Amino acid sequence: MSASLEKVTQTLKEVIDAPIASYFESCVHCGLCAEACLFYTETGDPKYTPIHKVEPLRRVYEQEYTLLGRLKKMVGLSRPITDEELDQWQELVYDSCTLCGRCSLICPVGNDITYMIRKFREGMAVSGHVPDGIRGATQRTVEIGGPMGLKWPAVANVLKKAEESTGLTIPVDQAGADYLVLLSSMEIVNYPEYIEALAKIFHKAGISFTLASDAFEATNAGIQIGASDIARVIVSRIVDAAERLKVKYVLSPECGHAYTAIRWEGPNLIGRPYQFEVVHVLEFLDGLRQKGALKMKDKFAEPLILHDPCQIVRRGGVLQAPEALIREVAENYIPVADQQKWNWCCGGGGGASAIHTDEAEALRAKAFGVKKRQIEAAGVKTMVTFCANCRIVMEEAIDHYEMDTKLLGLTELLAEHLED
Amino acid sequence: MPGPLIESLARQGITRRTFLKYCATLASMMALPPSAGRAMAEAMAAARRPSVIWLPFQECTGCTESITRSHSPTIEGMIFDMISLDYQETLMAAAGHQAEAARLDAMQDNAGKYLLIVDGSVPLGLDGAYSCIGGRSNVEMLKEAAQGAAAIVAVGTCAAFGGIPKANPNPTGAVPVSDIVKDRPIVNIPGCPPIPVVMTGVLAHYLTFGSLPELDDKGRPKAFFGETIHDRCYRRPFYDRGKFAKTFDDEGARNGWCLFELGCKGPVTHNACATAKWNGGTSWPVESGHGCLGCSEPDFWDAGGFYKALSVPADPLRIAGVAAAAGAAVGVGLSFANRAKKGAAKKAHQPVTLADLEKS
Repeated sequence: MSASLEKVTQTLKEVIDAPIASYFESCVHCGLCAEACLFYTETGDPKYTPIHKVEPLRRVYEQEYTLLGRLKKMVGLSRPITDEELDQWQELVYDSCTLCGRCSLICPVGNDITYMIRKFREGMAVSGHVPDGIRGATQRTVEIGGPMGLKWPAVANVLKKAEESTGLTIPVDQAGADYLVLLSSMEIVNYPEYIEALAKIFHKAGISFTLASDAFEATNAGIQIGASDIARVIVSRIVDAAERLKVKYVLSPECGHAYTAIRWEGPNLIGRPYQFEVVHVLEFLDGLRQKGALKMKDKFAEPLILHDPCQIVRRGGVLQAPEALIREVAENYIPVADQQKWNWCCGGGGGASAIHTDEAEALRAKAFGVKKRQIEAAGVKTMVTFCANCRIVMEEAIDHYEMDTKLLGLTELLAEHLED
Repeated sequence: MPGPLIESLARQGITRRTFLKYCATLASMMALPPSAGRAMAEAMAAARRPSVIWLPFQECTGCTESITRSHSPTIEGMIFDMISLDYQETLMAAAGHQAEAARLDAMQDNAGKYLLIVDGSVPLGLDGAYSCIGGRSNVEMLKEAAQGAAAIVAVGTCAAFGGIPKANPNPTGAVPVSDIVKDRPIVNIPGCPPIPVVMTGVLAHYLTFGSLPELDDKGRPKAFFGETIHDRCYRRPFYDRGKFAKTFDDEGARNGWCLFELGCKGPVTHNACATAKWNGGTSWPVESGHGCLGCSEPDFWDAGGFYKALSVPADPLRIAGVAAAAGAAVGVGLSFANRAKKGAAKKAHQPVTLADLEKS
């Protein structure tokens, strides 16, 4: 066994816990998860069946932790995993899985397949069986500060521009503020309107907030690649800054995986509860709405549909807020089938959007088919979402199919129609 | 689907639809394909009316009662309209020499084609003198009638297995039909008495397909005797959870718990009571609060007392206990081994660095 393969088995042995053991034992091979996965429904290729994506993990479980598996391994009925196999599986574990969680939701025996893939990625990561794109993003996050290689001066520049265009001050490193606002690089580079919108809303509501110059990036490529040790380093930056500035809340940006990282994975990574609370920006806005502090001056008139990002809604549990907010601002909101927790993924979550090989991009475009049909069936020209990554992935696909669809961010849409 | 049977059923207030439904139920109870229900209905409605001779031996007429009077008028009773019942002591109008003449005529006219139904066991003691009809012993009559029969149906536990007459010390030397007749197909429909629908099912099968249904090793139709009472008992969940009634008047009995410890023979008894039920589907022994006596099994009368818990499963249960303990021990052992393995893997954990993400 090669040294890297030894590392893989060692890591997989370590990540296989009681939930994973019970998931493998309770799988009834019904295949329902295939129908839940957009990579299967859009390609029809059975290799994209979610539970099949963790087949090497299952073999390690069987060979290491079950009596029958040990016997099978001894007499050669069960092959140990090989490097070639992992090479082959890299596509299934990264390119064609966005950790969207639809398979976990549909599984009749309650197996969290997404959790298994997330754990399997740990083994893939230690042996370097990872796509270059995600590896690069992880390196940049650790060495520079963000997946896109942004440094604080660039962020400060964007904040300055936002201050100029809104006429409001955006505090930085202010201890004792209520909220520590996190951003995702995607928003800083592609959608700076988000920052302006947030500044307007905070000032209007009279709630104090701050940014931290050493912890502005909310995304966590360590989680996407599947390296918990690296993910811990990244999430600790935020925890340290938030606890140093003694904020009550940390505000997760719209970005879905950022929310998963800071809200759900973070405390497990650092091994203790936070001294602050993590709130998603939509939860924050919905709180304001319920208090009557979010008044609209007018409404968006054109018909539109909503794209629910998986990590915020299905995986994240922010279920009711998005629809309540969109109804506040949209005159003509059209609910679609497979909404809320049953939504279909944009096709580029879980790090997939960072993979820029031709095959991965072609697969993403194909997987967008389900979204495309949703847009066409609703007959709308506008789709609203609240995740910068979903937005960029879908914008690329809309360009690819030359569709006449406009994408909007929910927070900006709200800010635009907010009462002055 | 016209025919004399449909007309006669109609006269008794049974519609064609009811009859079709009944045939479909029969077919499904016998695990036959859905099309068989229709085939049965058509075959039974057609006026073939095979000759049937019914011989009663050492019996109590309970089996006849079960079929004719259990819940009158039952559709089971209508079976007599589908066959030409040429001899049945209890039911026939004729008596004495006239009756015996009818039997002989039927045997002669339908030689090799008639169906022979027997209820009651056959005594062999004192040259069969314990039970005679018209001066002739049962064994003699059986041998004679069996010769020209297409098949024999042994109705009730006495005819099938000897039953109560054969119970220890068996003063009359009673034996079942199968001990005497060896060269004719025999179907055993045991039960004290047997369930009416089982009887009808076998006859319907014979009329429809011209053959007997599939039998188990004791000659019983598998469709009705394939599973034990225990397997299909509605109190089975209590057995599985170890909840037993200890007396007929304790809290367990009132809560409908398992009657195993009160001597229920359900686990070793093959019959359809739990599913077919009795008296038009009203209830059955266990539902009325009494354990199964095991009446459809051979020698049920001598099985060690109706209220004595089964001794048979006692040993297997102990073995099962030991096996469960051993299994648990192996399981605990494995889990410790697995824990140790996972612990070792955790201990050997080297922090993952950026360098690890590169392929070596």
